[in-house]
Amino acid sequence: MARTYDAVIIGGGHNGLVSAAYLARAGMSTLVLEKRELLGGAAVTEEIFPGFRFSVASYVVSLLRPEIIRELNLPAHGLDILPLDGTFTPLQGDYLWRVNDHGRTIRELRRWSKLDAEAYEEYGQLMVEMARFIKPILSIVPPDPTGLDPRQFGPLAGLARSFQRLPEKQQAVFVQLMTMSAADFLAQWFETDPLKATMSASGIIGTYQGVKSPGTAYVLLHHYMGEIDGAFRAWGIPRGGTGGVSNAIGSAAQAQGAEIRLEAPVARIMTRAGRAVGVALESGEEIYARHVLSSVDSRLTYLGLIEPGTLEPEFEDEVRRFKFRGSSGKVNLAVDRLPNFTCLPGEGEHLRGAISYSASIEDMERAYDDAKYGHWSRRPYIDMIIPTLVDPSMAPPGKHVISCFVQYAPYRLDPSLGSWDDNREAFGDAVIDRIAEVAPNIREIILHRQVLTPLDMERRFGLTEGNIFQGELSLEQLFFNRPVPGYARFRTPIRDLWLCGSATHPGGGIMGANGRIAAMEVLRAAGRKVA
Amino acid sequence: MVIAERTTAPAPEVQGVVPSGQSWDAIVIGAGHNGLVAAAYLARAGLATLVVERREQVGGIAATDEVKSGARVPAVAHTVGRFKPSVVRELGLRAHGLTFVAPDVRVFAPSPDGSAITLYDDVERTADGLRVRSGHDAATYAGFDRLVRSIGRFLAELGGAAPPDIHAPSFGDALTGLKLTRAFRGLGKHDARSVLRVLPMAVADFVAESFETDGLRGVLAARGIQNTAMGPWSAGTTAVFLADSAGNDGGAAGQTVYARGGPGALSAALAAAVQAAGGRIRTGAQVVHITTNDGRASGVVLASGEEIPARIVVAGIDPKQVLTGLVDPVTLGPGLRWRAVNIRTPGTVAKVNLALAGLPVFTAAGKGPEAERLLRGRIVIAPGIDYVERAFDASKYGELSPAPYLEATIPSLIDPTLVDDPPAGARRAARQVMSIHLQYAPYTLREGSWAARRDELGDLALRTLEAYAPGITRLVVGRQVLSPLDLENDYGLTGGHPYHAEPSLDSFFMWRPLLGSARYRLPVDGLYLAGSGAHPGGGITGIPGQNAAREILSDWKKRRR
Repeated sequence: MARTYDAVIIGGGHNGLVSAAYLARAGMSTLVLEKRELLGGAAVTEEIFPGFRFSVASYVVSLLRPEIIRELNLPAHGLDILPLDGTFTPLQGDYLWRVNDHGRTIRELRRWSKLDAEAYEEYGQLMVEMARFIKPILSIVPPDPTGLDPRQFGPLAGLARSFQRLPEKQQAVFVQLMTMSAADFLAQWFETDPLKATMSASGIIGTYQGVKSPGTAYVLLHHYMGEIDGAFRAWGIPRGGTGGVSNAIGSAAQAQGAEIRLEAPVARIMTRAGRAVGVALESGEEIYARHVLSSVDSRLTYLGLIEPGTLEPEFEDEVRRFKFRGSSGKVNLAVDRLPNFTCLPGEGEHLRGAISYSASIEDMERAYDDAKYGHWSRRPYIDMIIPTLVDPSMAPPGKHVISCFVQYAPYRLDPSLGSWDDNREAFGDAVIDRIAEVAPNIREIILHRQVLTPLDMERRFGLTEGNIFQGELSLEQLFFNRPVPGYARFRTPIRDLWLCGSATHPGGGIMGANGRIAAMEVLRAAGRKVA
Repeated sequence: MVIAERTTAPAPEVQGVVPSGQSWDAIVIGAGHNGLVAAAYLARAGLATLVVERREQVGGIAATDEVKSGARVPAVAHTVGRFKPSVVRELGLRAHGLTFVAPDVRVFAPSPDGSAITLYDDVERTADGLRVRSGHDAATYAGFDRLVRSIGRFLAELGGAAPPDIHAPSFGDALTGLKLTRAFRGLGKHDARSVLRVLPMAVADFVAESFETDGLRGVLAARGIQNTAMGPWSAGTTAVFLADSAGNDGGAAGQTVYARGGPGALSAALAAAVQAAGGRIRTGAQVVHITTNDGRASGVVLASGEEIPARIVVAGIDPKQVLTGLVDPVTLGPGLRWRAVNIRTPGTVAKVNLALAGLPVFTAAGKGPEAERLLRGRIVIAPGIDYVERAFDASKYGELSPAPYLEATIPSLIDPTLVDDPPAGARRAARQVMSIHLQYAPYTLREGSWAARRDELGDLALRTLEAYAPGITRLVVGRQVLSPLDLENDYGLTGGHPYHAEPSLDSFFMWRPLLGSARYRLPVDGLYLAGSGAHPGGGITGIPGQNAAREILSDWKKRRR
């Protein structure tokens, strides 16, 4: 019989790799199994068109936990995050441009509203305070509120105490952040519509919610997390694309002794007497392990990889109840030269950051209205990045790649529209039309275009219903409810089977926190020293 | 006062002038149902209590109004089934003439195709009726009803408790905490997990977990958006839905209970209870300022300039109005004022009241005694989730819903006292009255003003109903329309919001209306909040008033010691 690993990890996305690195570092024999021919999951770089390399899906990094960068020494493994400077919101005849230079941003805001410029400072300080308070939540294991073991509430009690110590206004604002819509929350400070729209956009990324939907304010905080970490810039793109992050973590895992196998799709998780004992590959090969960690989402794990009849039907119902509902698409463009914005012509610094197609709250909300009824947004919200301006290695000399994150593209289309395969190019056209409203040369400069619908993301990256976070980040699917109430502690109803991907607390994004905490829990359960 | 005529209770003695010079322990601002509840409890405890009401009539939105001579209709709220039974009992409201009437049909929801969904008080009967549409839905209905009741019972416990003090939790808070923990554990693991999972959910998702037919989903989900500026896809609407079934017999169908004589009869009974306990009520007296002395509330100033001192002041009106309009900004300080200004009051409700020459014929109900029975329930026009959501969409952009959500009642069917017998030979006399709650009519219009566009609301309600009850428009012999602006101007609701503050997740329990002021004590010593803006929120429940009175009396006893 072949050797038995201490841990086998399903999926070579960034979280699976983080888990692998930590487990290997603690001395566990660890094997990562990746279905595709390259590492990274949704954080991959691929040469889609000859000479043009793209961060195909996930395209910016902001939340990668600094302790992971430090503990796994990722810079030594090639991680290099290049800062993105600012956010440019092109409008008809005008623009709103915020940069990392605070003074310049305030001057720009004053051009729009003196009140907003003042409020912006106060708001920024408050949000940094809030982020400081909330940061520890990202690294705790959620308690089960119906559980009786008081020890698990320890971290929560600490949190409650630090909440009590906050000034009352900050307490109130924290409650608002957890419950309000991004639009309502921001309206308390600001009057400039493009400012509110652009800021609120970060609240709806990857969700099937609008900027006026309650529960979207919380994500606004994420923009301030990076600032307090101080380890690196708030927003950045990895050199070599987001695949660069995955490769660095993969390299760190291997340096700790972890093995990685590509093109090794897992067919099922083997269980014996209620415990996970290993995995069977699609090739038929069986690999035994003391711990099985799945970094793929909860639906794929529980309903796809486990022998039917192993789990309780009620539990399976809970798994089915977890909502995915992908809502975003991606349009990747290879271009001959840079887009030219009518409101600020030329190749200036404004192209070096995020370019946000978010002119007004109403635009944002109407884009959502389309999606609610099963249509892709006719005038979508787009977050555009031109990575070649910071990392020219991604395209042939003089040429560029453009990454467009697009919302909304609902996974379930209205039946009258047919399938996503019938709508892919029409959706792509809507994106180009929206860009052309403010950058009319876009059509002339496109050499190649790749349109990824939620269906494509499901097929290509194994993301159920194309949800980029492995499950909606709606209030009822966070913390102790993620991904199944009662099973939010990375454990599963099957002994020695663990979840470690974005489907777990604290959710999606290139954060790595899930993979790290899961590994810690596995080590603790195995009686290993947590290094 | 119209309300007194038709109730069997002695007409409450509401005086326009109360001798000045009397010293009051408590002044209650606003004679809405919660203000009256609080006042009755305070008066019964021996406090010299005065209620001052801006309008000429008591009751706030729990009022009965004449829509045409001889025809009385619920002015704003039309059902009272959420009213807390212990308040009825403790204040002896039945002895003051209050009678409830409840039909066996809770909801009659016609579909555009001429069929209807009927929800009865009897769960099995409802499930039987659902079977023609979907065997699945018929099978899951009882389980859904059980879950709603189970969570509703827990929410009733939560609603009856004052939220704990976040700064210095007291022994009492610890007891409340224990009680709530026990109630939570009493739910059992499954329902306990459900509570935490479903409360922040969108009601569209919540109903979709149990039911497959869009028609049933729409009818049920509508209760989650009633009186809110949210659609069925908005997070937190499940909490609104479940709160509507908290502490009453509503269950999945929701309650449908009328006060005989209209909602005004409830207010009349409350007013009588206040007066029987020695409290006084003064109508036509608008408070323009709350005076303070040494940072403590010391009385009120009326629009006439008259000052009335009191040891404590209790506001039954909405908290935004109190904190931004009646209290000196300096007393409040800039931080609190900023938070008070941002209390959200986005009114979306309009009211259309009709006097009808006869009973409208709903295609799905037909004619005859069976039809009459069906129409005694709430008539709900919410034939699908998308229908309601689209109605909501318009309001986000300051537009009136082209196809609105309606909840109508014909209370005269079950309470004939509402309509006087017409004089012999009268041709266009009122024989029935109809009360229509219409959503969404946004308080802030993008185009035009409500003063100019009020009639559109009446036309829209009738046009919508024509699709289900052809010919209804021809029956109209009297019509009264209230826009959100009217609700603000006539009933003193900021933003026209019937719940005083949006019942969204950001205004819930420990943070309703504001974190740090959720315990019925506003940030000025001796100033209390007893209305719908306080926990557990709006609706004709009397609970904020009852909870507030309990907290006030607890402070009162400490002061006297």
